[in-house]
Amino acid sequence: MTDASLNPSEAPRKGSLHTQNARTVRRNRAEARFKGYGIAAILVGLFFLVVLAVSIVRSGAPAFTRTVVDVEFTLSAAQLQEAESQLFKTKAYQTAFINALKGQLDERGMQVEVDNAAIERLMGKIGGDLRSFYADNPDQVGKAVSFQLAASSRVDRYLNGDLTRDSIEDSRFLMKTDLDLVDALEEAGIIRNAFNWTFITGTDAGVDNPGGAGLGASVIGSFFMMLVVLALSLPIGVAASIYLEEFAPQNKFTDLIEVNISNLAAVPSIVFGILGLAVFIQFMHLPQSAPLVGGLVLTLMTLPTIIISTRASLKAVPPSIRDAALGVGASKMQAVFHHVLPLAMPGILTGTIIGLAQALGETAPLLLIGMVGFVARGYPDGIMAGFTEANSAMPAQIYTWAARADASFYEKAWGGIIILLAFLLTMNIIAIILRRRFERRW
Amino acid sequence: MYDAPNLERTVAQDDIKFAARKVQVYYGDTHAIKDVDVDIEDKTVTAFIGPSGCGKSTFLRCLNRMNDTIDVCRVEGDIHLDGEDIYDKRVDPVQLRAKVGMVFQKPNPFPKSIYDNVAYGPKIHGMAKNKAQLDEIVEKALRRGAIWDEVKDRLDAPGTGLSGGQQQRLCIARAVATEPEVLLMDEPCSALDPIATAQVEELIDELRQDYSVVIVTHSMQQAARVSQKTAFFHLGNLVEFGETGQIFQNPQDERTQNYITGRIG
Amino acid sequence: MPLFWLIMIVLAIAAGGFALGRQRSLASAGGDNRKLHSLPSYYGWNVALKAAVPAFLLIIVWLLAQPLYVGSTVSSMIPDRAVADNSSRGLVMAEVRRTAEGLDNAVAEGIMTENFARDLRADITDVTQRLKDAGQIVTSEVTQPILNAAQRFRVMNAAGNLYMTIAALVLAVLGALWGLKEAHFDFRARNVVEHSIRAILVGAASIAILTTIGIILSLVFNTIEFFRLYPAWDFFTGTSWAPSFSGRGGSSDLGVLPLLWGTFYISIVALAVAVPIGLFSAIYLSEYASPRVRAFAKPMLEVLAGIPTIVYGLFALLTVGPLLLTIFGRDGLDWMQAGTAVMTAGLVMGIMLIPFVSSLSDDIINAVPQAMRDGSYGLGATRSETIRQVVMPAALPGIVGAILLAASRAIGETMIVVLGAGAAAKLSLNPFEAMTTVTAKIVSQLTGDADFASPEALVAFALGMTLFVITLGLNVLALYIVRKYREQYE
Repeated sequence: MTDASLNPSEAPRKGSLHTQNARTVRRNRAEARFKGYGIAAILVGLFFLVVLAVSIVRSGAPAFTRTVVDVEFTLSAAQLQEAESQLFKTKAYQTAFINALKGQLDERGMQVEVDNAAIERLMGKIGGDLRSFYADNPDQVGKAVSFQLAASSRVDRYLNGDLTRDSIEDSRFLMKTDLDLVDALEEAGIIRNAFNWTFITGTDAGVDNPGGAGLGASVIGSFFMMLVVLALSLPIGVAASIYLEEFAPQNKFTDLIEVNISNLAAVPSIVFGILGLAVFIQFMHLPQSAPLVGGLVLTLMTLPTIIISTRASLKAVPPSIRDAALGVGASKMQAVFHHVLPLAMPGILTGTIIGLAQALGETAPLLLIGMVGFVARGYPDGIMAGFTEANSAMPAQIYTWAARADASFYEKAWGGIIILLAFLLTMNIIAIILRRRFERRW
Repeated sequence: MYDAPNLERTVAQDDIKFAARKVQVYYGDTHAIKDVDVDIEDKTVTAFIGPSGCGKSTFLRCLNRMNDTIDVCRVEGDIHLDGEDIYDKRVDPVQLRAKVGMVFQKPNPFPKSIYDNVAYGPKIHGMAKNKAQLDEIVEKALRRGAIWDEVKDRLDAPGTGLSGGQQQRLCIARAVATEPEVLLMDEPCSALDPIATAQVEELIDELRQDYSVVIVTHSMQQAARVSQKTAFFHLGNLVEFGETGQIFQNPQDERTQNYITGRIG
Repeated sequence: MPLFWLIMIVLAIAAGGFALGRQRSLASAGGDNRKLHSLPSYYGWNVALKAAVPAFLLIIVWLLAQPLYVGSTVSSMIPDRAVADNSSRGLVMAEVRRTAEGLDNAVAEGIMTENFARDLRADITDVTQRLKDAGQIVTSEVTQPILNAAQRFRVMNAAGNLYMTIAALVLAVLGALWGLKEAHFDFRARNVVEHSIRAILVGAASIAILTTIGIILSLVFNTIEFFRLYPAWDFFTGTSWAPSFSGRGGSSDLGVLPLLWGTFYISIVALAVAVPIGLFSAIYLSEYASPRVRAFAKPMLEVLAGIPTIVYGLFALLTVGPLLLTIFGRDGLDWMQAGTAVMTAGLVMGIMLIPFVSSLSDDIINAVPQAMRDGSYGLGATRSETIRQVVMPAALPGIVGAILLAASRAIGETMIVVLGAGAAAKLSLNPFEAMTTVTAKIVSQLTGDADFASPEALVAFALGMTLFVITLGLNVLALYIVRKYREQYE
């Protein structure tokens, strides 16, 4: 209350209106300052949004590309027979491949030391892949085949500039000397960047293979979870809302339900996780880490949101519609189900989609029902298995990656966030379109 | 129609506070006030009457630029206060409103104590040197608002706890506390019962000693009781302006005649 | 999946009943539906509901009761000597379940015959060997009593499932027949159906109550269990948090105070960020901004509210933490040891809460009547004077409510603190130190491989209870204040 003080002053007494007196000037300055705080607050908020967006995109984008080694390689029938006759069969394939690679480098006139161990560090054990390729495609023997083999994540990070020659430490994953080879391969155009489909379609890899980790399985896990949430929360939410909005008498029981709903909407999500753990897993012995359990927990969590938005949509339908239906002799139930509900449906669906989007990004309860301890290495086989077999979910998978010691997984976590946000954005856009399209003003 | 005195002459006259010429007000595309010319005298109660939506409140709000707070509202024409154009670019509406106080249709005390309600204006305009002086201003204003005796023992009680009539008198006291030269009243009694209305009307009559008072009212009886001058608005036009007695007994315009006899409105 | 098929069959019975009921009612009226009391489909619905609802209720109740009954029966079978000293009956039962599951899988893969799996005299070594062959996890804990218990467990469950299937099907058929018998033209089918639907609606609405009861029960029972193992007084007044997983009980310090301190400290930092920014944004948007600025800035800020908390957690861990470390870390002011700290988590949580505070305050500021502002402008106040001295005092209760709701959000927030705040419980004033919170510890105590019966795991429920009580109190208070505020201006 600085300027509301009791200062004696040049009150705007008999002075002219056309000159601002000193006090008014001072007050106007305070006014401008105050407005400035408001603008600053908005700008700070928007600034945070931009920083968040930039750091997500910048850190996450590399997850969508990976370094591949392009080698054209011909395996003759003789080489195949020779390899199959040896004790270490895959090793023999690898040697043949490395020789081909050396040949290509020599062709371009490059003199680099290439040894088998270095190749293994750069590209992993490739012999197995080669052998299974020729076992599956025997007709390709003797023909030139262009192989695209994934380079290890360290090479990725070196080429991204994430690792430098100075910061790298010799380990069984990558030696400093290997970098000469990488540089040479890059110059020869053998190593290049390609879109990383594995990241989108693949399953989670173990802790020491960040390059092969993918989000695919957990997307499926999230999908099954959302199916459960949709199948339960939409009908239950709509039924509860119809009761509360259209039929509930004014009594203690109704009040109790109302109070419960508004409080549940504000209960921390982790508490729902505890509920899920105690009731669904400890008490009912449902399988841990299963999308079914995740879906049940998220249903309970989203129900209040859906009920609140559904009730708003029902309330928006004017009473005249109900009166009209009752007036032609419909029962109250018929009036609601034949007239009010269809009119409120777009609003209900919008609210449901937004509720689902919220549930899709929720992580904390999933931690407690075991979705993080589990490494989703495979896709579920079959629809029932999709519900009941242990799986991960998108946010849980992102958390798992973020919690791993290897910094290479951070990039995957950011990449996972981009995919998660893309899903959320799509859902919200659908909700907005739905609202625009069907919005009705009474 | 009455003859509009020309502007130059009225500015010279000391007893004219407001001189309005060719005032137009637009709400978006709606032309709410059309070509209004009026002179408002000092130490006089001027009443604006007319049917609902005729623009009398809108015109009142032009006099202290309250319409500035409405985005879509646009005012054209000249309104002079003591010979100074109040829509001049150099005029700060804040300074103007200190000179031209306003009382609203519904009593709107702030959610503060009675004392703070009245002290608010003097505080923001820096009218008191110290607490004792402020106390004095508050007491004077409350006495002028004819509410001092009712509230002097509970100045710390919230202003919202008073009855409707008391609240409105508190709002009047709040408005006079800033020592305005003109007091605008927008249907100050429409939310009050007859007894409270009588009290407020009595108060208006007293305020005339010091101020120029402009009152918008729906009630013709009220206009006849409290005002010396009356202006009749109809569909955004100022139809007739003159001595109150003349307007009610011998209206010049047919529309005024019809309104006063209850045929329109 | 037999349960799946059971549900399908019941639904099929209901669907068939619907068609039959409809037909029968029409037939009773001689094909003239004007003679029917209700529309023909109501007769169908009557049959379908009578077939499906009781059957499904039975299935649900059975599925809840059977594990309890079987569990307690089997548990009482296990002799005390089979429960090792350092173990508990709960652990042994977990072993029984795992063995039973192993037997199921082995039978499914054809490695054992059903009879062999049931053979009570089967030799333990033989069975375990076969289980291992089937790729089932078998621990050395599997002893003869456990094997027998597992066999009994399987048998009882199989029998239970069979009885349930039969009972549910019988009930469905009986219900359908009852409905069909009623399908006569003067039967008031619509009223009956509408009553049932109303009952279903009430049931759906009651789920909110059931959820609350579920939360309270799951917290209360486990918390009581915890206080049996660990003194409540030590929990609420202990200033040290040092759970140990090496030994069972006794050696752990499980004082809640450091966790509560971390929770409140982080929440205070978050509110210190969110409240000024959110409030000033709301003031600007509702009192100053032109409609165009408002139409742009408001949704943009609300995007911050739609971002999942895991994103903020990662943002704290990987962006804000390292950033703060370069300024306050060893290379800068040397106040900070690691990226995870109270400041990191608080700052990011503050960003998350900005739209929460601003949209709630926006609503509340807009609820202040325009007459109040007019009164102030009419006295010659500027906008900022009006806002600070008239609008804000009028909106204060509502804004206090909004801040309380935001505080409750901050206290219950999990992902940001799990990733951004650190793991060490400390009672310190330095905001650049790592601290931990109630929610973060709930996660860490329940996601390990800890035994659910140990105080180290059960403490999570006591923590959850503490969290629930605090947030519930804040929410109830906030909702009450906001409601009172709204009533004042309505």
